Amino acid sequence: MRSGRVIFCIFLIAVSAYAIHAARGWTFKASLFPLSVSIPLLVLATIHLFQAIFGKGETDEGSAVDLDFSNDVPPEVARDRVINSFSWIIAFIASVYLVGFPLTVPLFIFSYLKFQSEVGWLPTIAATAITWGCFYGLFQWLVHIQFEPGAIQIWLGM
Amino acid sequence: MFDAFIEGLFLVLQWKAFSLMLVGMSLGFCVGLLPGIGGAATLALMIPFVFKMNPAEAFAFLLGMHSVAATTGDITSVLFGVPGEAISAATVVDGYPMAKKGEAGRALGAALMSSLMGALIGAVALALAIPIVRPLVLTFGSPELFMLSVIGISCITSLSGAGARGQIKGFAMGLLGLLVSTIGQERQSGSLRFDMGMMYLWEGLDFVPVLVGIFAIPEIIDLAVRGTSIAGEKPSENLSKGVIEGIKDTFRHFWLVFRCSMIGVFVGIMPGAGGGVAQWMAYAHSVQSAKDAKDRERFGKGDVRGVLGPGAANNSKEGGELIPTVAFGVPGSGAMAILLSGFLIMGLVPGPDMLTKHLSITFSMVWTLAIANIITVLLCLTVLDQIAKVTNVRGGLIIPFVLLLVFVGSYTANGQIADLIVTLIFGMISYFMVLFGWPRPPFVLGFVLGKVIETYLFISMARYGFTWLTHPIVVLLIILMAFVIAYPYIQQRRQRAEGPADA
Repeated sequence: MRSGRVIFCIFLIAVSAYAIHAARGWTFKASLFPLSVSIPLLVLATIHLFQAIFGKGETDEGSAVDLDFSNDVPPEVARDRVINSFSWIIAFIASVYLVGFPLTVPLFIFSYLKFQSEVGWLPTIAATAITWGCFYGLFQWLVHIQFEPGAIQIWLGM
Repeated sequence: MFDAFIEGLFLVLQWKAFSLMLVGMSLGFCVGLLPGIGGAATLALMIPFVFKMNPAEAFAFLLGMHSVAATTGDITSVLFGVPGEAISAATVVDGYPMAKKGEAGRALGAALMSSLMGALIGAVALALAIPIVRPLVLTFGSPELFMLSVIGISCITSLSGAGARGQIKGFAMGLLGLLVSTIGQERQSGSLRFDMGMMYLWEGLDFVPVLVGIFAIPEIIDLAVRGTSIAGEKPSENLSKGVIEGIKDTFRHFWLVFRCSMIGVFVGIMPGAGGGVAQWMAYAHSVQSAKDAKDRERFGKGDVRGVLGPGAANNSKEGGELIPTVAFGVPGSGAMAILLSGFLIMGLVPGPDMLTKHLSITFSMVWTLAIANIITVLLCLTVLDQIAKVTNVRGGLIIPFVLLLVFVGSYTANGQIADLIVTLIFGMISYFMVLFGWPRPPFVLGFVLGKVIETYLFISMARYGFTWLTHPIVVLLIILMAFVIAYPYIQQRRQRAEGPADA
């Protein structure tokens, strides 16, 4: 966990250093606000980096006003599930890029329910059909949201 | 005046106006539940339909739709941790942990009742303030609005963890949010900043893909990791009892609800600040209301006060935003700017006429805000039992649908695949923020306020040089800001002083 904290501090330092470097080439008006924000960010992130490396462990006193992840699952299992979940999200975005939103919706719902959640064939097909119907009815028929065609459709000239 | 007040009520209760309000409310209900499709966008879509309506019918339809979107936005925030509206993001921080503790009914009851209270207080403020608000709005120029936004940012002290480390993390996250808000074209000089050669970034990052990524993705990942339902193994509450408990909470903490509603009204009156700011200021105020450090620790872990504050402010700000829109034609937000076009379509000119010749129309807006929210909340309360059962459904069955909602919502911001990538990137950053204990609320506050602060700062400097710092209201606001920053420390010192005596 400590190495993760150090890496996150380094990420913040890198972001602020990049912002300072990029802002140096801009006009005074354009650079004033980003510089006045990124310089203190660099200082605070550096202070916290030293605290993370040389200081004592985190105490309750410093805990954030935010949610805590559950720790009921063994760390190795949790790590695998996190990677698995992000993989599904990335696959979803890749599918939108390749075949467009309207095709991705039924494809994703069907694949997730069938292969990840291991739901039976009939409920999976029913849920997929209902979701696709709602998606089409609401976003395409009623609200007329224009969804970009996928790369494959463009390539095929569809 | 009283006659106009009653006439306004009868205008809304005419069968056609009332029916149109119900249609608008149904649309607003759905829009509120769906992340991404904001109330403002739906207002814009519905404007063409008001051409054949009279003013009372048109405003019953448009305001009925707009005013309930914030109310139902809280439902998605509590149940799935996905902000139904950008202005419902603060409700996620404590509402979703309550759902995870098996208290979804209580959280929803509290969110809806506080929303109703907020809406009613906002409507009363609108009715009372119209004759007296003119001097207040006219005394607030760019320097005062800049200071008001800085006060918003100073709420970071309350949104961060206690102690030096907590404050460092909070301020660092606030600064990161401010830095992210500078992406895109700088408004004064037109220079491009951090655009990385991508045209998508010229306009800056849209709120929806960022907010949805920041709040929804870590919650979805956590649900997948746990492999249970949202409420987990916790014994499911008696839902009806939970809902009633949530309603009681609203009255137990009535003064908190009232103060947060007033924050919403005040922020709503000030053009440019909007609901994104009001909810976080109200949340920060709720955190400040904690009695001691131990009480404060409950926030973010499922404290009902964290639901009540933003819920009330979200809805009261509608009344606040209408005040400058109706009285001077100065829209308080994007949605109000769209509503202003509705005024023009109806042949109404905002300004003195709305307070004299068309006063009954103005009061019909007050009644619409009140009646639409009362009906929505009563309807929601009757079906909450069923809605809250979603938290007991296996996570694996919910995740694909929530992910779909998240990404469709994100996509509607600009209609580009880049919106989805932005959501993924901020979702990943947010995941690590939560994992390593860096608070997300200060980041969101910085991101929401960044553009406003920069714009008002430049206008103030260009118009007044440094002399704006001596404006009386600016000085008052600086003192208020110092108090907001110092308050958590004062509270700590007081507790330390009381500690040995208690022991």
